[in-house]
This record gives sequence, structure tokens and C-alpha cells, in this order.
Amino acid sequence: MNKTERISRILLLFVVGIMAFPKCIFAYIDPGTGSYIIQIMIAVFIGISFAVRVYWKKIKAFLSGVFKKNSGDEN
Amino acid sequence: MKTKAEKVAGSFRDPSGFLFKKNDILYRQVNEAYRENYDYLMNSGLYERLTESGCLVKHEEVNLSLALSPSAYKVIRPEPVAFISYPYEWCFSQFRDAALLTLKIQKTALEFGMSLKDASAYNIQFHYGHQVLIDTLSFEREIECVPWVAYRQYCQHFLGPLLLMAYRDIRMNQLLKLFIDGIPLDLTSRLLPAYTRFLPAISLHIHIHTMSQKRYADKAVRKDKKRIGRNALLGIITSLENATRKIRYRLEKSEWGEYYEDTNYSRAAFEHKKRIIAEFIEKARPELVWDLGANLGIFSRIAGDLGIRTISFDIDPQAVEKNYRKCVSDKERNILPLLLDLTNPSPSIGWENKERMSFLDRGPVSMIFALALIHHLAISNNLPFARIAESFQKLCRSLAIEFVPKKDSQVQRLLATREDIFDQYTQSNFEKEFGRYFLIHEQVAIQDSNRILYLMQSRT
Repeated sequence: MNKTERISRILLLFVVGIMAFPKCIFAYIDPGTGSYIIQIMIAVFIGISFAVRVYWKKIKAFLSGVFKKNSGDEN
Repeated sequence: MKTKAEKVAGSFRDPSGFLFKKNDILYRQVNEAYRENYDYLMNSGLYERLTESGCLVKHEEVNLSLALSPSAYKVIRPEPVAFISYPYEWCFSQFRDAALLTLKIQKTALEFGMSLKDASAYNIQFHYGHQVLIDTLSFEREIECVPWVAYRQYCQHFLGPLLLMAYRDIRMNQLLKLFIDGIPLDLTSRLLPAYTRFLPAISLHIHIHTMSQKRYADKAVRKDKKRIGRNALLGIITSLENATRKIRYRLEKSEWGEYYEDTNYSRAAFEHKKRIIAEFIEKARPELVWDLGANLGIFSRIAGDLGIRTISFDIDPQAVEKNYRKCVSDKERNILPLLLDLTNPSPSIGWENKERMSFLDRGPVSMIFALALIHHLAISNNLPFARIAESFQKLCRSLAIEFVPKKDSQVQRLLATREDIFDQYTQSNFEKEFGRYFLIHEQVAIQDSNRILYLMQSRT
């Protein structure tokens, strides 16, 4: 399994994870459907940025490898 | 004589319980419907953690026979708060601290398996120099799979107003007087500068949130689509916390913010005035003082330092901001700076105009300071002395008031741009009109100045 595949799997697991565990709670104020949906979007966004942060070093190493290779080709 | 118990007008939204007053003591009835959550709050260690850290108001359980209805599970007596203030009376930093406290409480609640079911700015109050959550019934068992029910409310009550204050105008929290459940997000989104759409946190929590509200207005979402993981929920709270923390407000030079540097008082006059006020306090022995037109709160602190809880009101948001920052840095317990335009004080708002109290509803108080204020009311606002005296009498028992004669340079400054139509503005008229409502106990001329301080006692 290469790096890209690993990152994609982690992201997929995260998104599936946040969609799991159903139940509903009692709320005396109207939470608003749109406000629920945006939170799920933010959760995905946070998940992606978290995964990016965790794997940032690896991504950086991967990218610098690619650029090194390219500059090597030019020479 | 025993008085009849009376429900607090603003306490009706949450079926978990309500506030009521009996013999001037405030109680909260906890309803049977809230039993499980209340027991969990008290037994999980969350109540202890939050009260020990000063985040939640302490309470004691009292006899159930005090309950007002058969639906009661418990009756509790919360520690009384000296003065109920509202978000449209807070300066920027007070507002931001209240927002951050709400998020801190939510994070702590999540640690204990509970969650805040509301995020109302009205639930945060000042208590001995720090902010506390006053609604003990705001917690519910956290079912770890749905988004935060109070997210919208947090954005409307806290995030939106703070952004408008920082990015548009510091006076924007006055909009909360119009919108009791916080500034609607579509309005916040419209009022914010266009470039905020490119700032990720603001874009998400305000602009895209608004679009999402419009897109899903009146649409129900399947329960199984409302799920979210615990870490994701914590991530949202952290994101709100970061977004709130980043909102800054820089003080500018304001009309009255530099008042003390710009005044015509000599050092001797200023010190003499302080001594007279201290003597007046000694004589009046108030439990609570309202300092009207307090500016940076120098005279409020004379009372505060004597252990008297003092509300330090001013019309200028910058002066209130400076005053509050000093309270925080000096860890002052007795001073509460608040915004107030005395010529148009906070109205009573909400259902039947009773949910949030007006400024006058929150009086009377044992003592009022009206120092270097009379010329602003009588000349800038054209108020006759009689109307001012009548109003002050409704508000207090003792009054420390300064008369500033027409020849004073500050009065001359007010008259510089307008015609002098104030023939009645004389010391003798002042004494005559105030004398109808108050007994003049003492009058002292301030050394090295032409101003006079009076200590008066209400005639009623």
C-alpha cells in the first residue's frame, strides 16, 4: 500500500467514523438543520486538515523527493 | 411578612425548570423531566469541577416544599449575583471572555459525558470579578453522535456579534437589543466586510453557515444523517475557540477615554474630590453603588476598595474596555464596568417586554455617584434639573452628585458649538429642584476648583 492510498484510507475511516453512532437528543432550542449540516462539513474539513497535519512530514518528504528527482532530470 | 412566590419573567424557555423569587430570595425549580441530567451533573464530578474553577454558579438544595408546581424534582438556591447585566451592556473584552468561558464549559462538560444544550450570552454573568454560568440546568447527557445543538446559538449570541464589533464597529453589540436570540447569521454575514469571506474560520462559521441555513431552511434531515464523532465535536468546539480567540479589538483614542488627562482638575482638586467621596461613602454606608458616568472608574474604586460592590457605568465603549482591562489585570472583585447611555438606558425586551430587565427595573440601589455628569444631562441632553432629580430619586437612597457651574471650562466646551439657552442652569436652581426630591445632607466645595459636591438622601 503506497502513501497516497494510506492517507485516503485514513480519511475514509474518519468520515465513516463521524457518520457512525446514531441517536437523537432532546433540545429545547431549535438547533437548525443548516447548522447541523455545516457542523458535519466542518468536521470533515477538520478531519482532512488533521490528517494533513499528521502526514504533513511524509507529504513534504514525498514532494521534496519528486522535485529533487525533477531537478535531477533537468541537470 | 411572607410574600407570594413569583416566577422570573425571563425563565420560561427551558422545560427543565425555572427561576422564581420568594421573600426576595432567588430559587430555581428543577423539574422531574430533568432528574436524570441533574443527578448526573451533581454525581459525575462535573458540578464540583465547574464550581471549584469558578465557571458555574454554586447552589444549595433546599426543601422541596418550596416548589411552585408538582412537576418539581428539586428546588435549589443559587448564590445571588449582585447585578444582572446583558451582552449589549458589555465591552468587547467582556463579551469575548463570556464567549470563551462558554466554550471552556462545553469542553469540560464533554470530558464528563455531558454537553451544553444552550449557549445563550444571557446565561453568563459577573460574580465577584469573574464570569460564571448561572444556568445550572444548561447541561444534558452527551449522546456522542450528534452535532452541538447550541452551535447556531453560539454563532448568533457570541461569534457574530464579536466579529461585527471587531470588523465593523465596536457599537454593533447594540443590535442585540433588537434580536433577543442573537444577531441572525444572514445579517451578520451581510454586515461583515467582504474580505472576511476569505478568512477560513469566519467563512465557515458565518458565511457558509448562513448559506447552509438558507439551503436547509424548513427541511428535516434524517436522524441517521445527523451523526458526528466525539473527536469531530471536540474539533468543532476547538475551531470555534480559535476563531473567537483570534478576534481582537485595538483601543483607539475616544471622546471620554482620555478624560482624566484632558480635564481641568488640578492634582490638589482631584485628591480633594477623592477624599470627599470617601467621606460620603463612610456616611452613606451603601451595600451597592452605581457610578453613573464613571469613565475609567477612578471613583468607583474608592467604593470597591472598601469592599462595596460597584457598577461602573459609562457611555463610551472604549472607557468601559479600559476599565474592564484594569479590573482583569488587578483581579478586582468589586468593580463591574458596564456600557450605559443614561439618556437612553437599556429597555426591557423580549416576551411582554419582560424577559430582560430595563436599567430602571434593576434598581433601586443604595447609592448613586453622579460625578461630573449633571452638565452632560442638563446641557447636552437639555434635561431640566427636576427631571434628573426625579429619575435619580427612583434609582437610589443616597446620592453623591457634583454640580459643575456654567463658568467651568468643561461646560463652556459643551456650549462652544451651541446657543446658551440654559438660563435655569444655576447652583441655586440645582439645589432648589433637587431639594424637592432629596434632603441635602452635605455640600463641599472642591478645593482649587469651582465645582461643588453634594451628599443627598432620598425624601421617600
